[in-house]
Amino acid sequence: MDSDSVLPRDGTADPVVRPLATADEGAHSRPHRTKWIKILLVWLAALVLWEGSYRIIQWKSWQFPAPSHVVDATLDMLGVRTYFGDPLAEGWPWQRAGAHVHVAAGDAKLPKAIAVSGVRLLIGFSISLALGIFLGMAMWTWSFLDDLLGPLFLGLQTLPSVCWVPLAILTLGINESAILMVLVLGSFFATAIALRDGLRTIPPIYERAGLMLAATNWRLYRYVLLPASLPAMASSLRQGFSFAWRSLMGAELIFMLQNQGLGFLLNIGREFADVAQVVAVMIVMIAIGMTVDRWVFAQIERRVRNRFGLMAAT
Amino acid sequence: MIVQQLERAAPVTTAKRIAKPVEWGALHTAPPKPGRLVLRNLSKRFADSKHAAIEDIDLTCESGEFVVVVGPSGCGKSTLLNLVAGMIRCDRGDILLDDKPITEPGPDRAMVFQEHGLFPWLTAEQNIEFGLKMTGVPARQRRQLVDAALRMIHLPHSGHKLIHQLSGGMRQRVAIARALVLNPAVLLMDEPFASLDAQTRTLLHEQVQELWLQTGKTILFVTHSVGEAVRLADRIIVLHSNPGRIRREFKIALPHPRDFDSPEVGDLIRMVRKEIEDEVNRANAEQINGQ
Repeated sequence: MDSDSVLPRDGTADPVVRPLATADEGAHSRPHRTKWIKILLVWLAALVLWEGSYRIIQWKSWQFPAPSHVVDATLDMLGVRTYFGDPLAEGWPWQRAGAHVHVAAGDAKLPKAIAVSGVRLLIGFSISLALGIFLGMAMWTWSFLDDLLGPLFLGLQTLPSVCWVPLAILTLGINESAILMVLVLGSFFATAIALRDGLRTIPPIYERAGLMLAATNWRLYRYVLLPASLPAMASSLRQGFSFAWRSLMGAELIFMLQNQGLGFLLNIGREFADVAQVVAVMIVMIAIGMTVDRWVFAQIERRVRNRFGLMAAT
Repeated sequence: MIVQQLERAAPVTTAKRIAKPVEWGALHTAPPKPGRLVLRNLSKRFADSKHAAIEDIDLTCESGEFVVVVGPSGCGKSTLLNLVAGMIRCDRGDILLDDKPITEPGPDRAMVFQEHGLFPWLTAEQNIEFGLKMTGVPARQRRQLVDAALRMIHLPHSGHKLIHQLSGGMRQRVAIARALVLNPAVLLMDEPFASLDAQTRTLLHEQVQELWLQTGKTILFVTHSVGEAVRLADRIIVLHSNPGRIRREFKIALPHPRDFDSPEVGDLIRMVRKEIEDEVNRANAEQINGQ
């Protein structure tokens, strides 16, 4: 029933209209929870099966590590030496099976690497974002610029970002700026394209309404078009981040610098033929990428879309 | 006949009750504007069209007059309104509002759109406040005006709500408040109730009538609904399509506020509808002959 039809003329009792249901309103409901428990159980079963089969047949752990080896490698990078991967014996998992000598752990490489990569990401992504937002808005405003750069940027999206590395080395040398160059060149166009596409979906009626309400010149941009572009902004931010993260990891993998980021750790794992470390670093990369995407950018996007009454983003 | 009797027996609706007039003068510092709108020889042809959307339209909306433009779809009604709003430029002719020519959109010709056009990132009251903020009204005065406007549209407690939390009818009421709060010389309404259900529409007709009687604004209203036109208008302009010209004018002499279910209103609706049907038949015949 339309709430207007029951509205008293004197307006004393204002009918309450409930906000639209959002996608995560059911987040804590029972079917949702059992679904997650099921998913978790299946993954757990796979890991147990994997670990169990390694224990039984001892299949080439130097080529493909068991979960316990990955745990060892991860803890080792955090400065804790463990032997979860060893056969169960006295002193497991703190001592090597059979040996009664305690081996000191290496230094905590992982937190340092995460910090180094984080700082690089922060600087590089800021530059990339500024450039992407500027170009995205420019392309939306001037169609000639869009005709000029649009196809180029779409083309760049097909170029893997590590392909910028040789050029960056030749122009800037093997240093921090070269890493930033790869990061920026590998991600700003994604922000620009996503923003331009989002801006195109702003209903023209907002502009007309703004003009009618005396929002002219810069005011139209500041008070109408900028807020109207927030959903587009939020998705372009998210898009830009995933490109930036991938570019940075790729660049760090190839550049051998004093400041050792996550990509460097991955490469060290390869050099020392430490497959457990390789897998551990990959898992850390995925975890960081996913966490930031889910808990920072997806949250921003969700809030903006809820405010606008748009459907919740996936 | 039975049907007609039933209609007559229906109780007189709330349109008779009119709230206290809004004291705009006390809240607005700008002097009131008469709002006399004059269109002279107005013509507009779009580049991709064979016929002129609007051709040689002469129309004067007197100060405080409620003029409704009706006509079949594609007859240039919306073009006419957009010209007055300043959203598009005319090819020939003049549009004068209180003897000043119109060149661009502005808050003296506030518009209510079919798709409300409210800003979803603002609450209802922020939407109403928006134009006041842009025209530089001080914050305290804005607050008072917004409160008065919310009371005027009978939504005094819904100001904090976001647009998507309001029903379709409430959104249009907020859109009307957003336009009226600017104290425009003329209020332009572009099929404002076309996407609402019948009950809500009737309720909004009563409210628009009430607001118009309270504020005494000149209103130029475009619709394809004859019933809406007869209920609200002082004068109905029926447009001729391809090219868009004035086909006929009806002066509706019934007093306001009107009883929407009265037999006089019913008779007038039939009369105007006949005129529009003739226009549609003429346009169709012309199209067939032309092919």
